[in-house]
Amino acid sequence: MRVDLDIPGCDPLYTVDWPRGRYCPERTECPLGPNLREPCDAPVIHFENVTKVYPTQKRPALEDVSIDVGKGEFVFLVGPSGSGKSTFLRLVLKEEKPSRGRVHVAGKDLARLSNWKVPHLRRRIGCVFQDFRLLPNKNVFENVAFALEVIGKPRRFIRKVVPEVVELVGLEGKADRMPDELSGGEQQRVAIARAFVNRPQILLADEPTGNIDPATSIGIMKVLDRINRTGTTVVMATHDAAIVDSMRKRVIELEEGEVVRDQTRGVYGQAY
Amino acid sequence: MRAQFVLSETWIGLRRNLTMTIAVITTVAISLALFGGGLLINQQVSQMRTYWDERVSLTIYMCTDKSPSKACEENGAATEEERTSIQQDLEALPEVQNVEYVTAKEAWEDFQDRFANNKALVEAAQEGDIPDNFRVQLADPTQYDKVQKTVEGRPGIDSISDDQQVLEQFFSLLDGLKWAALVVAFVQLAAAALLIGNTIRLSAYSRRRETGIMRLVGASNFYIQLPFLLEGAVAGLVGGIFASGFIVAAKFFLLDKIQAWFNFDITLTAGSVLSVIGVSLILGVLLCTVTSFLTLRRYLRV
Repeated sequence: MRVDLDIPGCDPLYTVDWPRGRYCPERTECPLGPNLREPCDAPVIHFENVTKVYPTQKRPALEDVSIDVGKGEFVFLVGPSGSGKSTFLRLVLKEEKPSRGRVHVAGKDLARLSNWKVPHLRRRIGCVFQDFRLLPNKNVFENVAFALEVIGKPRRFIRKVVPEVVELVGLEGKADRMPDELSGGEQQRVAIARAFVNRPQILLADEPTGNIDPATSIGIMKVLDRINRTGTTVVMATHDAAIVDSMRKRVIELEEGEVVRDQTRGVYGQAY
Repeated sequence: MRAQFVLSETWIGLRRNLTMTIAVITTVAISLALFGGGLLINQQVSQMRTYWDERVSLTIYMCTDKSPSKACEENGAATEEERTSIQQDLEALPEVQNVEYVTAKEAWEDFQDRFANNKALVEAAQEGDIPDNFRVQLADPTQYDKVQKTVEGRPGIDSISDDQQVLEQFFSLLDGLKWAALVVAFVQLAAAALLIGNTIRLSAYSRRRETGIMRLVGASNFYIQLPFLLEGAVAGLVGGIFASGFIVAAKFFLLDKIQAWFNFDITLTAGSVLSVIGVSLILGVLLCTVTSFLTLRRYLRV
């Protein structure tokens, strides 16, 4: 589908090939400022024929992958180990460069994004991992605040925002606990709070429930769902069939580096 | 907030690697002290050179009754005529600026004055140990040979000594010292650079959790690297400050002592010592910061 966009005050007519986005005529202001380079709900993640071959391997980790993830979507990335899920996430973060193809994230062509601007890209992306990656010598508040401190946010702003996010992930009253005083589920909530505290456009989660028992996982998924409802795009790589089936969200399945399934309201799949 | 965060990270890094930090500071201090010492000696030598080039003279010793040399035994003590004719010939030479006749008595008094602070030396010498002599001031110190040849072998002359020869020996000693100091300094500086690299690497490794998270949440490279760079710079600065102490000590306890012994009235000014200290400090900080930076580029992928 091709879309012509002509919003007063924005860049003049701008046309894109737009397989998955929706044109929204009700939008009259420029969502990203006067130099809008994309339609109002252009995909926040756009992979175009992306192939990634790691230098030491022959078989590509991703092969000719084209995926679009729209603003505010919730996407599960499923597939066995080594199917390319992590590579996909690393490409979004520009931790790796694609061997072929183009990657656009948050309206930016990553190939044309200079290295010193990568940190600014990463400020618009939150990350959650299987192993939480908390700082053991800092309490919950300090762990979340750390993400803002290191990008130079003022102290007053941090004092205001951090408690809100700690509450959002359901850890109210535990702000001064140390990580080793928390359960696995609670630690993952801290990690989510840290990823979300800067209000990123995209939240990437790499097996966030991998180290957590199924009952607690449901709580984690509720937090991610809550974050998704604020308009944040969530991409979650997972092995957890029960969770994928219960959420009924878009499912992209990778196998040996190729997209074998892309369903809008999918389940994990029978094969596994 | 920013400054406070960076400074506290720097402090944590320095403290966590305390032994390595001490090793870095020590090597940097020693190498910079040697480097500064080399520079000081260099300045001293060049100042003395210009000083002596203006004053360099020949001393022509005349025969006395006690002179043991062969020339004197044949002719006996120098006569009044021999003395005047030598003086006239010397004064006629264009290369000679000034001729001064010093009697044995004057020479002895002068000697006593010069070495007043060295009693043993004064007591050991007697009047007449230094014979009557001519002090010949040269207009051009390089023309020493020509002047020497005109008077050499004339009756009444015991020996001719060239101040410059004595000085050259002293200068070459100082030059040797300078080069030894500089060579050791550079070897030490190289060792210091390697140590700093290693320290920063350790520091980056022990904080890889923090830097990994900083990278993920989008901290700028500068912000991630700054604590490590400051860590190197602080170690370099502290090492440089210790080195400055050594340099000042070397100036007062070594160079000044040498000067007192040889009775030169040239001392290095505070300004030149300060400039040596300044150069050493800057070198220390630069070396450490640049090495840290290069190490980080390899070990702290951003």
